[in-house]
Amino acid sequence: MSAEGWLLDITDASDGRSVLLWTKERRSGSVRPEAVAFRPPFYVAAPRAERRGLARDLRNDPLVDEVIERTERPSLFDARPVTLLAVRPRSNRSRRALAERIDRRGNFHRYTLYDVDLTAPQLCYLTNDLYPFAPIVRRDGVWAATEPAETVDYELPPLRLARLEVRWTGGTRRPGPGDRIAEICLGPDRLEGPEEELLRILPSAIAQRDPDVVLTDGGDALDLPWLYEGAARCGLTDAEFVLGRAPSRWTPSRGARSYMSYGRILHSAAAFNLPGRFHIDRENSFLFEDTELPGLIDAARLSRLSLQSVVRQSPGTSFSAMEIAEAIRSGVRVPWKKNRPERFRPADHLVAADRGGTILRPPIGVHDHLDEFDFASLFPQIMVRHNLSAETLDCRCCPRSPHVAPGLGYRSCTKRVGLLPRTLLPLLRRRTALKAAMRASPLGSAERRRLHGRVKMLKWILVTAFGYQGYRNARFGRIECHEAINAYARELFADMVREAERAGYRFVHGIVDSMWLAPGPGCVPTEEFARAIGQRYRLPLGYEGRYRWIVFLPTVSDGFGVPNRYYGIYETGEFKLRGIGGRRHDTTGVARRLEGEILQLLAPARDAAEFRRLLPRALARADRFAERLRAGDWPWTELVITRRTTAAVDDYAVFTDTVSALYQSRAIGRSLAPGEKARYVVLDRRSRSWRNRVRLAATMQGDERYDVDAYLDLLAREVETLLAPFGVTRADLLARWGARATPPRDRYASPSRPHQLRLAPG
Amino acid sequence: MGRTAPTYRQALDERLKRWEAFERLLTTPEEREAFGLLRSGARRYVAQATQVGSPDLLESILLSVLLDIAQRLPPRDANAE
Repeated sequence: MSAEGWLLDITDASDGRSVLLWTKERRSGSVRPEAVAFRPPFYVAAPRAERRGLARDLRNDPLVDEVIERTERPSLFDARPVTLLAVRPRSNRSRRALAERIDRRGNFHRYTLYDVDLTAPQLCYLTNDLYPFAPIVRRDGVWAATEPAETVDYELPPLRLARLEVRWTGGTRRPGPGDRIAEICLGPDRLEGPEEELLRILPSAIAQRDPDVVLTDGGDALDLPWLYEGAARCGLTDAEFVLGRAPSRWTPSRGARSYMSYGRILHSAAAFNLPGRFHIDRENSFLFEDTELPGLIDAARLSRLSLQSVVRQSPGTSFSAMEIAEAIRSGVRVPWKKNRPERFRPADHLVAADRGGTILRPPIGVHDHLDEFDFASLFPQIMVRHNLSAETLDCRCCPRSPHVAPGLGYRSCTKRVGLLPRTLLPLLRRRTALKAAMRASPLGSAERRRLHGRVKMLKWILVTAFGYQGYRNARFGRIECHEAINAYARELFADMVREAERAGYRFVHGIVDSMWLAPGPGCVPTEEFARAIGQRYRLPLGYEGRYRWIVFLPTVSDGFGVPNRYYGIYETGEFKLRGIGGRRHDTTGVARRLEGEILQLLAPARDAAEFRRLLPRALARADRFAERLRAGDWPWTELVITRRTTAAVDDYAVFTDTVSALYQSRAIGRSLAPGEKARYVVLDRRSRSWRNRVRLAATMQGDERYDVDAYLDLLAREVETLLAPFGVTRADLLARWGARATPPRDRYASPSRPHQLRLAPG
Repeated sequence: MGRTAPTYRQALDERLKRWEAFERLLTTPEEREAFGLLRSGARRYVAQATQVGSPDLLESILLSVLLDIAQRLPPRDANAE
């Protein structure tokens, strides 16, 4: 059946009693909201003695519309049915407050609540078999999807995109004191004029262009707050200054925050949503750069989350939502607070269990003709193959299960498939199908890019599926699952050492799911080896290719190889770089350029001997860079250093370049929160004054003199990283370039922070 | 993401740090060099010791160091008994 249009999004309606279905008509391309009454209940399990009293009180509660008793198996972790109270709030907006009150009444432990933090739009999708970007037809007066969300090959609605960018007096991107908005770019249009006039015509200009997606670079942190502040300055009201398809308040739907993830302090700007449109801020989206729109739309479809949330959130959030969708589909509820403490375990068990995958230390230096093999999506494959899921581990029904985590003894169920494998298997199949489609020729470049984005998105989701098992707040996570996955992976890795030798290879290096092997005379051909292992272990092993040469790099501290820092070139001529400058977002332009040129110089080497012969040329190139830097006329845009801040300006104990940049930012009224990035050029690293030490990139005039020694040091570090295995050291390079070594960092005492004074020497 | 137990690598680093006091009282360069060998021997087999997952840290360190020394010995004559 051909669809009449698409469902783009479901959002909360302001009346609290319904949701808005935003549909795009196929014929006209117009987008309209349609209010549908929808107030889903949440569920409460209370001890029998309290249930009746609780139900009675709730029925008299002004926030509650109705309370119904029903008996069902509430969650995956419950073996038998329980009587639940289905509580329907009068308004969707009071859902959470009401649930919190009930939880408090049960002293936060006597009652178990379900489905509380699933939003009305999310539940509307799930209970009506709808999903974002579903092709839809009207059946018996309601919208119905014409194909399931899991469809791999689908038609996307034609989306209208428009870029939005604000510029200030003088055409600058950042405002100076007293500046006014002077220009607004909207798609190909450029609106210019006095601020008030611009802001008055902007709503109609947007309405006329009517984009489905508004694309910005920094819109959450800059453009939208600027526009709203400007509108307020001009006395416009939120009913007049409407940028979405419906009026909305000018406040962000989520505030800015600094947070810590994997040991790094990160910052996420406030979220400004435009009702009826999707606002994608490329700088506030971890995923957009990698997956682009097709990947994000795929994730929105599968997770039943609005594209607007998928864009801003981590892939883990999407994966959790996919698990929730799978749980609801199989008729169980989603517990609100995870009430499943870790089991008490003896210390030696913890030492045995709390281990990651195997990571070898590579032999440092240049190697030639190595073959690389990777297990595809190893951890998710293990979860599916061994049925690892919170509720299937150590089940009562399978004491003789053949699936036992090596060395740990956790059994997994053989009778029912767990939630995690049920969620993962379609994702794995989808990824395989998309990769196969990418190999099928011929493909246009646009189509290839679309597929690439979708494959990347799935990769991220599958990666987090594993990590979330070890996260204490993960809804369906369980630490034993995390441990079991690692245990299976370590066992497999150890098997691979012998398997590789039997096939005539020498095991050179390996990290968790990848291995670098040196083929011996008469070894099993690579593709055949990969196929045979894949069949024997029922886990797909892929052959990545043969390297002309590859260099494994050492640590600074003990001189052993760093597992994931290397660079090499395949026989196809394609580079593989890990952990060196070019791979990092914050590498300074001049270092990135030098690295690129050195790699290009080394690229023609066909083996390790030729590689070594080219080394003097690489060093000569570094000398040329040093010479030009010394001349003092290197373009400053390639000298901008980007550093993520880790604390507020007053909380630093050591006076560094970054601290100087933070002081300058504050001085121009643009204080940076922890996790935001400071961008600056070093002018005089020896200076004790924050005004002279660096200059913010935003305030560079172009005639400043940069600190030659500081940048020579940066170059020397870069060259040392690449060439350390061949005896090149930073100290030698600096001596050869006649640079002064960087002085050691001083303790820094801020007069406003007496506790730091104690840190100061003397 | 919080780990419950330190990794073998962390536990090893901590132990080696403790042994620095031992090293400080070594008086000849030969002894110090030999001590350095011991340390690098322990570090060389971090992956293998992790694979064992023994609660006995010293067992893993000893095994690593002994293997490192054993593979530095001159090759054994197959005919000699």
